[in-house]
Amino acid sequence: MSQPKKVLLLIGSPRGEKSNSHAIGKFLVDKLEGNGLVSEEAIATRLVNTSEGIEKLLNSVENADIIVLATPLYIDSFPSPTIKAMELIHENRKVISPSKSQLLVAIMNSGFPEKEHMDTALKIIRNFVQESNLKWGGGIRVGWGMALNGEPLDEKKGMTKKLTRGLTLASVNLSYGQPISKEAEDLASTLFLPPFLAKSMMHLFGKRGWDKQAKDNNAKSKMCDQPYSISFAVLNRRTADV
Amino acid sequence: MKTVIFNGAKEGDQTINVIEKTIVDQLTKEGWEVEPLELRNMHIANCLGCFGCWVKTPGTCVINDDGRETTRKAIQSDLMVWLTPVTFGGYSSELKKALDRIIPLLLPYFQLYHGQIHHKMRYERYPKLLVIGVQESGVDYEETFLALAERNTLNFRHPAYAASVFRRDKNPETIPAFVEELLNKVEVIS
Repeated sequence: MSQPKKVLLLIGSPRGEKSNSHAIGKFLVDKLEGNGLVSEEAIATRLVNTSEGIEKLLNSVENADIIVLATPLYIDSFPSPTIKAMELIHENRKVISPSKSQLLVAIMNSGFPEKEHMDTALKIIRNFVQESNLKWGGGIRVGWGMALNGEPLDEKKGMTKKLTRGLTLASVNLSYGQPISKEAEDLASTLFLPPFLAKSMMHLFGKRGWDKQAKDNNAKSKMCDQPYSISFAVLNRRTADV
Repeated sequence: MKTVIFNGAKEGDQTINVIEKTIVDQLTKEGWEVEPLELRNMHIANCLGCFGCWVKTPGTCVINDDGRETTRKAIQSDLMVWLTPVTFGGYSSELKKALDRIIPLLLPYFQLYHGQIHHKMRYERYPKLLVIGVQESGVDYEETFLALAERNTLNFRHPAYAASVFRRDKNPETIPAFVEELLNKVEVIS
């Protein structure tokens, strides 16, 4: 009897278990477990900080049949420690000979509603996969991540219905060792409301949420402070010097 | 006029070191003050993703280390230069650790810009931006790298920007002309 396939949930968010990346990735991995796969979880952003952690990270990656990298978008790319993890995995795979074919699925989430913000980052992950002798298992782009609030995904909730349906479809593909289908990618990457409406809502009501958080921290009056501003007199003097 | 260079190279990266020195030489000759920052030698913790720089200490990161200084120097410069080995088409983790920490230069609020939602600007003026990647031979990620740099300019609305890739197998003697062309492009030398 063959061994069950192993899936590694690799979290690329500094917020670890409290992150939206974790909530989304966990939903997919739970589905895979339900289909008979065994799972392991690793917070890449923590592991890269110590030599023991790095060893654990590299071993976990090498043991996995499927790697689900769940990561937020930071300035059109990934958080620095996530890139560090990619650099380390890549270096390691140059010196070892991977013993089996391994799929990597990327799940990205961004605070912006438009999934297109994540296109360049997804290309970077694909390049990493190619350079590191992994097999591309598909990419999912989740917009308006902050609306998820790091909570477990609920299949019945309207806001996460398309996302959870897409992830469930993806789990079927992955359980057969196949990359996720375009249908699953598209469904999971579809926002719960039309993009034009999401943009308008964010534009109009986004301020309220930030102000509320600032108010809770007694910082509302300082929201637009410019602690590093320099005077125009200094700027003018600089221009005159050149 | 001031330039700050974020050098995101690993120790001993000769190509990036030569590019950095060339930028320093060419700008100093024109009367600029240039400050290169070797990020690998600085104490810059990773961004926590806590949004404290927006809702607790607006404009300043909650972590008190060199990351605050790199951010201050960035906004107070007239030209910001990012140097990095091209890493799968993106930036190295060394460069990115400093970039992740410059988020307080923006406001958390949103606005439509070029048809997409972006964050609003905290300051009235931002520096010009020059992004240079050094790419290993055998791979071609120039398109991805330039796309990333262009996306970044949408975030910070730099008044002028240029980005380019220098291949590591190229003759190093071509570096001065390569740098000069880019500095011309961002209109800091003539």
